[in-house]
Amino acid sequence: MTETTEFTDAVTHTPGATIDDQIDARFKRVRRRRVPKFGVLFGATFLIVLLFLTVFADWLPFIRNADTKVRVNGKLMSNYKLGPGWDAWWGTDGNGFDVFARCIYYARYTLWIGISSTAIGLFVGGALGMLAGYFRGKTDRVISVLIDCLLAIPALVLAIMVVRRLDDIKLDFTFLGWMSRLWQIILTLSILAIAPLARIVRAQTMALREREFVLAGRSLGAGNMRILFKEILPNLIPAMVTVAATGLGILIAAEGALAFLGLGLETSWGFMINANRNRLEKAWWATIFPCIMLFLTVLSFNLIGDRLARRFDVREAAV
Amino acid sequence: MRYFFQRFLQLLLVFVIVTFVVLVVMRVGSSNAQELAIKLAGRPLKPEESDALIQQYNLDANFISQYLTWLKNLVFHFDLGFSPQAGQSVADLLKPRVWTTVLLGLYANVFGLLIAIPLAVTQAYRRDRPFDKVGSMATFIAVGVPGIVLGVFLKLIFVVQLGWFPSIGDKIYPWDDLHEHFMNFFLPTLTLTIPVAAIYTRLLRADMVMTLQSDFITLASAKGVPPRRVVWKHGLRNSLFSLVTAVGTQLGALIGSAVLVESLFDLDGLGSQLVVSVLSADLFTVQSFVAIIVLIVVVVNLLVDLSYALIDPRIRQARALG
Amino acid sequence: MSIGSTTNITQAALRDVPGPLLELTDVRTHFRTPRGLVRAVDGVSFTLERGRSLGIVGESGSGKTILSRSIMGLLPTKGTERSGSIRFAGTEVGNKSRKEMRHIWGKEMAMIFQDPMTSLNPLMRIGDQIAEPLRLHLGMSKADAAATARRLLQDVRIPEPDRRLAQYPHEMSGGMRQRVMIAIAMACGPTALFADEPTTALDVTVQAQILDLLGEQRRERNMSLVLVTHDLGVVAGHTDEIAVMYGGKLVEKAPTKRLFAAMKMPYTEGLLASIPKLEDRSHSRLNVIPGRPPDLVNPPKGCRFAPRCPYASARCNEEEPPLTATQDDPDHSYACWYPVGSPEYHEARARINASAGVN
Repeated sequence: MTETTEFTDAVTHTPGATIDDQIDARFKRVRRRRVPKFGVLFGATFLIVLLFLTVFADWLPFIRNADTKVRVNGKLMSNYKLGPGWDAWWGTDGNGFDVFARCIYYARYTLWIGISSTAIGLFVGGALGMLAGYFRGKTDRVISVLIDCLLAIPALVLAIMVVRRLDDIKLDFTFLGWMSRLWQIILTLSILAIAPLARIVRAQTMALREREFVLAGRSLGAGNMRILFKEILPNLIPAMVTVAATGLGILIAAEGALAFLGLGLETSWGFMINANRNRLEKAWWATIFPCIMLFLTVLSFNLIGDRLARRFDVREAAV
Repeated sequence: MRYFFQRFLQLLLVFVIVTFVVLVVMRVGSSNAQELAIKLAGRPLKPEESDALIQQYNLDANFISQYLTWLKNLVFHFDLGFSPQAGQSVADLLKPRVWTTVLLGLYANVFGLLIAIPLAVTQAYRRDRPFDKVGSMATFIAVGVPGIVLGVFLKLIFVVQLGWFPSIGDKIYPWDDLHEHFMNFFLPTLTLTIPVAAIYTRLLRADMVMTLQSDFITLASAKGVPPRRVVWKHGLRNSLFSLVTAVGTQLGALIGSAVLVESLFDLDGLGSQLVVSVLSADLFTVQSFVAIIVLIVVVVNLLVDLSYALIDPRIRQARALG
Repeated sequence: MSIGSTTNITQAALRDVPGPLLELTDVRTHFRTPRGLVRAVDGVSFTLERGRSLGIVGESGSGKTILSRSIMGLLPTKGTERSGSIRFAGTEVGNKSRKEMRHIWGKEMAMIFQDPMTSLNPLMRIGDQIAEPLRLHLGMSKADAAATARRLLQDVRIPEPDRRLAQYPHEMSGGMRQRVMIAIAMACGPTALFADEPTTALDVTVQAQILDLLGEQRRERNMSLVLVTHDLGVVAGHTDEIAVMYGGKLVEKAPTKRLFAAMKMPYTEGLLASIPKLEDRSHSRLNVIPGRPPDLVNPPKGCRFAPRCPYASARCNEEEPPLTATQDDPDHSYACWYPVGSPEYHEARARINASAGVN
């Protein structure tokens, strides 16, 4: 058999596969082209504007200080007196604070928590995944059990447990005294990020270590560390960036959830939602605007992550 | 059989490690047993009280002995411990709330699948047509929307604007009053179901699109099988792998969402109780709680594994041989 | 050997319609792609009589697979443009929708695919897969369908049919699965069977068995067979006629024996030369036709084979040769300006040999 196919193989690929090849190629190309870039454009624009506003909030004339109560003609606008309007764009809350100003200022904490916990998670999870995927054997088994264990506890349950325990533990161990609530949350969320990231990096590393350039490097006698850092790590970057983008969205949602449950920062959208949600009837704005901010931020990261996943062809980008 | 045994051992190992680590996290940091007893109780204790507690839970030994004591009580006496703050055993604390959470989780999965399967099958069948595109966009947004945001919006629409449902939830079960049950559970269920349905839809659609390109699907058409039957009978069953896996992997996220949703809709369940216990540092309760949750996750994942074999004769036979 | 009386009654009417079973006139199948219109099948005409067999031969990319699926109407409708006339048993089927074709598929026309490993539903028992068209088209009861399925397995020479009926595809070898495919195709007693590279994925020893089985079933059931393959050797002993395709067009068509006796197209000659012969040394290099199949979006201006043809001259690159019958044999037609055996052919050949000699 093999001999007879050689004729066609020499000319093109497998015989008979033409129809599916052609049709497949057709659909793929069409799909690539038609995917609207609008989504990722929207996501990127939203995040850039948000970042700009929150960083330069102190100098921008149209953003009030988050901790200055709104007064109109000398009267305090507390108890949700102002709805969305000219004096306070998104209205005031129960204490008379400007909802818009708070939403913008609190984006600082949200973004910072998201980015730094993703970075820590990426560092630890990436390292574990690379070690497990590259060395296989016992290393892999130990790390895999660790990953399974982390995944066995629902993320939010793990988060509220760890954040709360850190409150007490940092009192018991004086060397943890530096840890502010902000760092407690960053640390907790980065623990959440480790397992999914490690799993994906492990799978990618396992595929990469069988590739020619890695095998070639090994046959030339390159050391393990050299191969890991010079050959494998650079090839992991696309997958890591993709997963990090989607992961950022998820961690920011988790931060909102923690604050909502009263275990996060008080300077957080989630806390604003929780503080005002029982006044939904009287003053929807104080709850809904933080909700929209949280939603759009998470959505933006998801849109960027989705685009990157298509671009780099990373499956299983969902953490 | 050997395969399941291995898998069982693996999951058992996970259970033991996780519950042990949770115990350590809960109890670490006290300089002596008395201090630990007071922390666990959450209030000052008389010497004889703390001695009794130390005796009962082996608190003056190392963590491994403490863990073995805890495990022994759990396995042989079904003893989940005592919540000093609630003044009752952990089991009594949880029992009246179990059904709230179990029902929510069950509803979310059942309705999630009922929505996801027809939606994904239709999308895959009409790939790249308007229906599929709108569906993909909708599920993309629904997958990412944070639980609190979704819950607040549903509350704004259905409770505040339309006034269809009560604003404070009450845990009324179907066997008590079906109508009231519906009124109280509808919105929490919807909040949980939407993201679950969206994830299931996306996974199933992707698998289904792949399956519908297979040769055996073309052959089924060439046999003259009607499209509806080709898709449902030949396509669906061959596309269930990711979906079934997701029922296991999404369980954690679902439990997390249940914690939020129960708090948001003031529905008294395990999730809202967990938050209360965590906030009040009720360490015994939290520890047992997490153990139960991990046990559920582990068991569901084992069931998921079993169901692969139910769906696919190749896996069934490969495992029977192994 | 007939399957059952019902089958014969339903098909009696169809078999009595006078004229050829399959009649193609200027059939074209084009795909719209971002690169442009792919002319996968570009003006093919032929007729096939009842009970006869036709081999469609060509390299991959010649359009032979798309032609066979186009006749059955099995292509996706989106982005596909079809034109020309396809008459099946006197009825035009070229413009029928998939919905209308469904009643013909499996019942009147059946197809066998190339890869038996991927063409059977892995999660369905063999018996159920064979019974499915029987129950759908012939309205058989479960028990009747099972009994018929069992008989079909015997017909395709599968031992222990009762045990096999309850098995899943993965429990069978490739050859066995291809026999099951044939059994499925045969189930409702179709009048036309399309076999798309039915032996390409199989072992050499199994190939001949499957081809013999197909021929035997064709004769017994008075079925027409269209055998699509890249291998001229496969069709040589198993079809009445051969049609050679290149770049979406028929380039030569003749009764099998006469084609091998006097082939006209240099392309056909090239296909023949690429079949390994027994007398060749086992590791000798195969004679492949150099170059690639033509780009079907922008096909060459003249003869589509000209860029790869060793004997091509200026005219071949400018004018497209029509498919014409040879003078002495009306059944043998070809599309070439300077066919094998013409003076120009010999001249070109001498030139090639001379330059080869110099080197």
